[in-house]
Amino acid sequence: MKNTKFISHLNILEKIKKILFNNLFNSLLSLLLILSLGSIITFTIKWIIFDSSWKVITSNLPLFAFGSFPKSERWRPAIWMISLLTLCVLTLFGPKYMWLRKNIIIGWILTLPLGFYLLYGGAGLPHVMSRNWGGLTLTIFLTIGSSFFSLPLGILLALSRKSSLPIIKKFSAIYIDSMRSIPLIAVLFFGQLLIPLFLPFGLEIDRVWRAILAYTLFLSAYIAEDIRGGLQAIPKTQIESANSLGLNKYQINKFILIPQSLIIALPALTNQSIGLFQNTSLMAILGLLELIGVGRSVLANPEFIGQYIEVYIWLATVYWLFCTIIAIIGRHLEQTMIKTKSNFF
Amino acid sequence: MKRVIIAKNLIKSYSNKLLALDNVSLEVNKGKVLVIMGPSGSGKSTLIRTFNGLEKFDKGELDVLGIKINSDYDERKIQRIRRRVGMVFQQFNLFPHLSILENITIAPINVQKRNKKDAEEYGMYLLNQMGIDSHASKYPSQLSGGEQQRVAIARALALRPELILFDEPTSALDPERINEVLDEMRRLADQGMTMVIVTHEINFAKEVGDKILFMDLGKVIEQSSPEIFFNNAKHERSRKFLNQLDKY
Repeated sequence: MKNTKFISHLNILEKIKKILFNNLFNSLLSLLLILSLGSIITFTIKWIIFDSSWKVITSNLPLFAFGSFPKSERWRPAIWMISLLTLCVLTLFGPKYMWLRKNIIIGWILTLPLGFYLLYGGAGLPHVMSRNWGGLTLTIFLTIGSSFFSLPLGILLALSRKSSLPIIKKFSAIYIDSMRSIPLIAVLFFGQLLIPLFLPFGLEIDRVWRAILAYTLFLSAYIAEDIRGGLQAIPKTQIESANSLGLNKYQINKFILIPQSLIIALPALTNQSIGLFQNTSLMAILGLLELIGVGRSVLANPEFIGQYIEVYIWLATVYWLFCTIIAIIGRHLEQTMIKTKSNFF
Repeated sequence: MKRVIIAKNLIKSYSNKLLALDNVSLEVNKGKVLVIMGPSGSGKSTLIRTFNGLEKFDKGELDVLGIKINSDYDERKIQRIRRRVGMVFQQFNLFPHLSILENITIAPINVQKRNKKDAEEYGMYLLNQMGIDSHASKYPSQLSGGEQQRVAIARALALRPELILFDEPTSALDPERINEVLDEMRRLADQGMTMVIVTHEINFAKEVGDKILFMDLGKVIEQSSPEIFFNNAKHERSRKFLNQLDKY
């Protein structure tokens, strides 16, 4: 204690000297680090300001955001993304009214139907086919659509794996184990190339939905295992006391087991959604023009040829930003649940 | 006199050799308090948990509140019993993700299909009776052990049960917190609630019990009134057990 107090009274220069240059070895090390860091930073700044040309980004911003969505209809994905952002802000910083906390989850559930309506159109809005969806809009749509379906499916699989009915238990175990032993890219290929062959003639699933289906099938196996971990962490006595109150199996799952396992599995689930957001980039290989796909098509433009450093730095920044938002929301949910041990928002 | 529990020749074995219940027969009359005592591993927890179907038995007959169950373990009959029988556990077993009031109202609302407002009113009344109504919106982890156990009693009472089972309700509590729970149980006994209690609290058993049932190794050794059991136990094994309890 005395020592830290002493240090805080020294002026900054003396502090630096004490920390970085207190003996010969440390001085050399510090000097080396300062020089290398300094040169990296100066070269980076010099490259960003003088050598790089950010026109490739600035002139293509609408493309990165909306893909080839028709110009006159771009307000639709824009509104959707703004509504999402509002929801994030409300969740994180919104007023602590009880009704808002309790009902904000409805807003989150509605984001997918709203997004689909705004993107696809119908009921007054002109149709926009999914081959025109793209960029950040498509990345977010894939992420939200896949998590929307894979969470309930994952919960169902986790519960089935603990079921007392042997057929259901076995089926779920086989499904989870085989899904986890196939690489994601193979599942995505299956979704894009093979599903259309299996469907009867005339029936067609849109390729964005096929992608969401493939991600859902893949991710739900992992989510099921995260939730199974949560279920195993719940003491047996919880089920006993629920039984003694006369709750039936369905009610015990709904009121006791699922909520508690979700709370326990939350850090792992946050991890999965960050992974999902990044893994949507694999669709670039399969011909969907999401963020990476747009980046590749921009680079194919003769006007911007060879500028991939700028494009990929920009893409990395966008991915970093959105993954950080997901992580912050995840941490926020964890903290509110530690406080109340209950409410999700 | 109406009988609430009639057990005849209950037998349960965990493995081939060890009998958890060895030919146990007993009766509990309405409004009476049966106290089950015995060393650990004697089968007293197993016995009390058969009364609401948390444990199955292999042979014998059991009649709880006129509902007869046997070793077939008919799920619907068990469910009907549980709707009318409350249980309090050693480790409280409250639901950590639900508030105190939600813990108490979850069963009345979902099992007995009472409307939410009535269930909450009755829940608040029960909490008020126990002097913990100020905690209604808190979560179990914010309460002391004694308070949690009183919430557990309120949760059992919320179903307006005709019988309450207590499985070592004070064993997990700090010594100075034990009495606040025992007081609630005394109050229930005074109100004429039928209760089966597994406990090591001798003074409480003397005062509240109408009958003491002493078990060892799955067998019922002795069933006597508290006066006889604590002053002049019929069996050598009972006297040895009481002597050992006295040492502590």
